[in-house]
Amino acid sequence: MKVNIISLTCCAGCVSSFLNAGEAFLEILSENFRIVYSPTFIDLKEIPKVDLAIVEGGVRTEEDEKLIREVRAKSRLLVALGICATHGGITSLGDIFSVKKFLEKEYYLSERTQLPELKDLMYPIGNFVDVDYYIPGCPPMPFLIIHALKSIVSEKQPLHHKSIVCTECNRKIIPAKLDRLHGIYEKEATPEICLVSQGFICLGSLTRDGCGAPCPRVGFTCFGCRGPADSLMYRSRDMYAFLVKVISRRTGVPEEKIRAELYKTPFIFHTFIFSRFDRFKARERII
Amino acid sequence: MNGKKEITISPTTRIEGQGKVTIVLDEFGNVSDAYFYATEIRGFDYFLKGMEAERLPFIISRICGVCSTAHVLASVKAIEKIYQTKITETAKKLRELLLMGQIISNHSIVFFFLTLPDFWFTSEEDPSKRNIFQIMREKPDVGRKAVALRTFGAHILRTIGKREIHIVSAIPGGLIKPLKKREQELLLKEAKKACAITEEALELGKELFDKNWEEFKKAGDYKTYYMALTKKDAMEFYDGEIRVINPKGEVFSEFKAQEYMDHVEEKTYKWTYAKFAYLKALGLSAGTVQVGPTARMNISEKVLTPLADKELDEFKRKFGSPTHATLLFDYARLIDLMYACERARILLEDETLTRTDTRVKTRPREGKGIGIVEAPRGTLAHEYSLNKYGKLQDMKLIIPTQVNNAAINLNVKDAAKEFIHLGEVKPGLLNRIEMIIRAYDPCIKCATRSIGRGLIVEIRNNEGEVVQTLRR
Repeated sequence: MKVNIISLTCCAGCVSSFLNAGEAFLEILSENFRIVYSPTFIDLKEIPKVDLAIVEGGVRTEEDEKLIREVRAKSRLLVALGICATHGGITSLGDIFSVKKFLEKEYYLSERTQLPELKDLMYPIGNFVDVDYYIPGCPPMPFLIIHALKSIVSEKQPLHHKSIVCTECNRKIIPAKLDRLHGIYEKEATPEICLVSQGFICLGSLTRDGCGAPCPRVGFTCFGCRGPADSLMYRSRDMYAFLVKVISRRTGVPEEKIRAELYKTPFIFHTFIFSRFDRFKARERII
Repeated sequence: MNGKKEITISPTTRIEGQGKVTIVLDEFGNVSDAYFYATEIRGFDYFLKGMEAERLPFIISRICGVCSTAHVLASVKAIEKIYQTKITETAKKLRELLLMGQIISNHSIVFFFLTLPDFWFTSEEDPSKRNIFQIMREKPDVGRKAVALRTFGAHILRTIGKREIHIVSAIPGGLIKPLKKREQELLLKEAKKACAITEEALELGKELFDKNWEEFKKAGDYKTYYMALTKKDAMEFYDGEIRVINPKGEVFSEFKAQEYMDHVEEKTYKWTYAKFAYLKALGLSAGTVQVGPTARMNISEKVLTPLADKELDEFKRKFGSPTHATLLFDYARLIDLMYACERARILLEDETLTRTDTRVKTRPREGKGIGIVEAPRGTLAHEYSLNKYGKLQDMKLIIPTQVNNAAINLNVKDAAKEFIHLGEVKPGLLNRIEMIIRAYDPCIKCATRSIGRGLIVEIRNNEGEVVQTLRR
């Protein structure tokens, strides 16, 4: 298989995560997986026709859109790697404010310039091209990337994770009687008890599994980097209301109070799941 | 021929991010200007306004997946300054170890994956072959070593940071979890192996470097100021003061982290999404200053680990101090790597590293604070202002690539002058320019809080029309 690795607007963490797979990374590199194009590693300026394209990053500029269309046209399979490519990611936070306006002012974009024009929003690549597999995560864990790529190379269907992070977290859910919620650093988390039960706003109950729950396991709240789980990918599902219910049930704090608390912190879970997303089309293809 | 012309190189390959080079020719066809610029932007500086301080460190690390740990550490340091929190010695040591993990994972990739192919193959070699994957096919051993080193860095980050990329354990007040005895033993074992691999990498690097030195020398030696963290004249990444030396090597200024913004200023241009930073006291062009591996060598009088100290001595003997040759960045990066491996080993040998006092209570306050660390590419500064609700009011980040931006541009211009006469472009221009840019290992993602793909050289006339485009 010939492979292209493409970076759109992102932080490059996803390809870095792939490199962190160590031995497994070396193992996968073979005639069956030959990276032929990757501006980060290879001096080839024209995008070749390939079997598989791995794309990290989302579409922020007109140039990104042009590139993703070209990449799609030139590859048989296309994998969206990481939350920016699959859902829009962190850069989507720019959708809340009109970042474009700010930037135009600061960088004199209104004047004649050779810089590529910005789009109004940050878009996941699925808005422009068909995606065969989505691997959300910020970044996806190395083992998940390796599993997905190995399966794809051997023409097998990779595992479709559809449950929530709580199923991989070893903490016990014990309904509590708290009077309010807590900030991440406000107190130390007690080991073995669910972070939500302790009053922390952990998004594990909304977020797709497959990562192994590295964050809540060590006492850091899940911040939803794998995007919404299957059950939340129907348009009728209100994630916000769902989260309020979960937290209320596990902490004993009245829903009203939680809703008020959550509205105070607008960044809470829009962080990684904000941009537009064709939920129905994508659901089955998420790894 | 009438009017000015421009040459553009795009995309620049084997660098972290998306760059483009434009060379402007005057009416005689000689170089009048050259720019290296970033073509993407994400706008972190804008959309993070209003963010709760407690979410900043792990959100801000998304600026750059390559040096995320450095961003997290600068971020928590800035917040701790505002909160007036003093962390424990144990937490400090573990954070330094995290930073070493960052340097190791970054430098091992930069050396083996990005720059080694330039040393390994001649410039006549088919460009499609000039990459690490080809080296791995010819010599699988080199690939294995590169990956082993990278894996060691990643293990440090996973063990202490709890994720390899975008770590979550570093929080205002210290670290979320202490290190276990068992984990320490495992890492120490790997650290010893990593030191041995780095020694070999250094030998290989030096050998290839000597072979190519005559060619490398031509890639410019722009004489500028240099800046890096230092602690009692020794190399330092996490703590210490910032020292600036002049092109002759004399100390120009030395200041504390909190005074950073009084000494360094930034400016935007309409032709690039990356900002420029320079020494405030001297102004934009006189105050051109460089950070990164070479700057660290020029500023440190010694290194507190034995092998790296020996290498620093040899480096200074060979090239003088300060040295200005651009491609020495690649050599200096290997000494950084040696230091990071040795320092990690020394830290891991420390019995007190597994103490459980890694976290102190913080009390949120409003105010302004700066956090500084030496990131792989040089001095990284985060400045935040928090309001009384604990939310971010204002943010200013000065990132190594912004500081080096001016020097990169001057170097590219020099190279262009050498290769272009009276409208005629000699072959080899593309390669030379890419090597210069690669030596700086610029992180465009950081400088623009964004990333892209590769290099185009564009020649434009004075009406802005593209006359010629060079790409591979």
